[in-house]
Amino acid sequence: MTPRIPLPSDELNPLGLPDTSALAPALAAARDQLRRAAFRMRSVDPVTTELVRIRNARHQTCFF
Amino acid sequence: MWLDGLAPGDTDWDRFAATWPVPFGALADVVAAAWDATDPVLLELCRLRMATLLASPAEEARRTGRARAAGLDDAKVADLPRWPTSSRFIDRERACLALAEQFVIDANGVTDEHVAAVTAHLGADGCYGFVQALSVVETFQRACLTLGIDSVPDVDALTRPSPPDHAEVPR
Repeated sequence: MTPRIPLPSDELNPLGLPDTSALAPALAAARDQLRRAAFRMRSVDPVTTELVRIRNARHQTCFF
Repeated sequence: MWLDGLAPGDTDWDRFAATWPVPFGALADVVAAAWDATDPVLLELCRLRMATLLASPAEEARRTGRARAAGLDDAKVADLPRWPTSSRFIDRERACLALAEQFVIDANGVTDEHVAAVTAHLGADGCYGFVQALSVVETFQRACLTLGIDSVPDVDALTRPSPPDHAEVPR
């Protein structure tokens, strides 16, 4: 994939995507912390988890 | 509220954040970082347009203090549905609103022309920060819709000291 904006370098990240780590680094760090926090949410009970899934499906108009 | 057992709080957001402080604290930090990454008037115009497209009356009614402080007034907000033709909007805002609308409707439909128009006004770094911020605002609004969060503090009241990084979610 060709980036649509000029990037600071031609390096690729471990996923093989263009390295954008030099752009908006504070926002990238905050998003990384959010990913870590979400990954650690193992103790949400299954009923709440299912209710959230169904509510999200409704908002996304997903009927499967 | 559709979910029982939430902790007490002044707003819906506060109640969820008090119940799950780690992930909601992390999300608050992301939202604050998004507002830091781009022009608050541009982001507020796009946030409000997103709220219309996502059918979120609560987000449509809310105003962000940073954008008001930067000069965004109610007359311009009232004219937002007419952004393509209204004289209240400048080319820079139109370029960002066009990309934001397409981003919400179908992100795969964002074209080279959308990106080039925004980059012409904001530069490459500015375009990247703007699109990242758009993504955060969309995620936040969709999360609020899914969770039934109608009342939310302003962005600067949203961020609170997060619990330690290793803390387990309490529920």
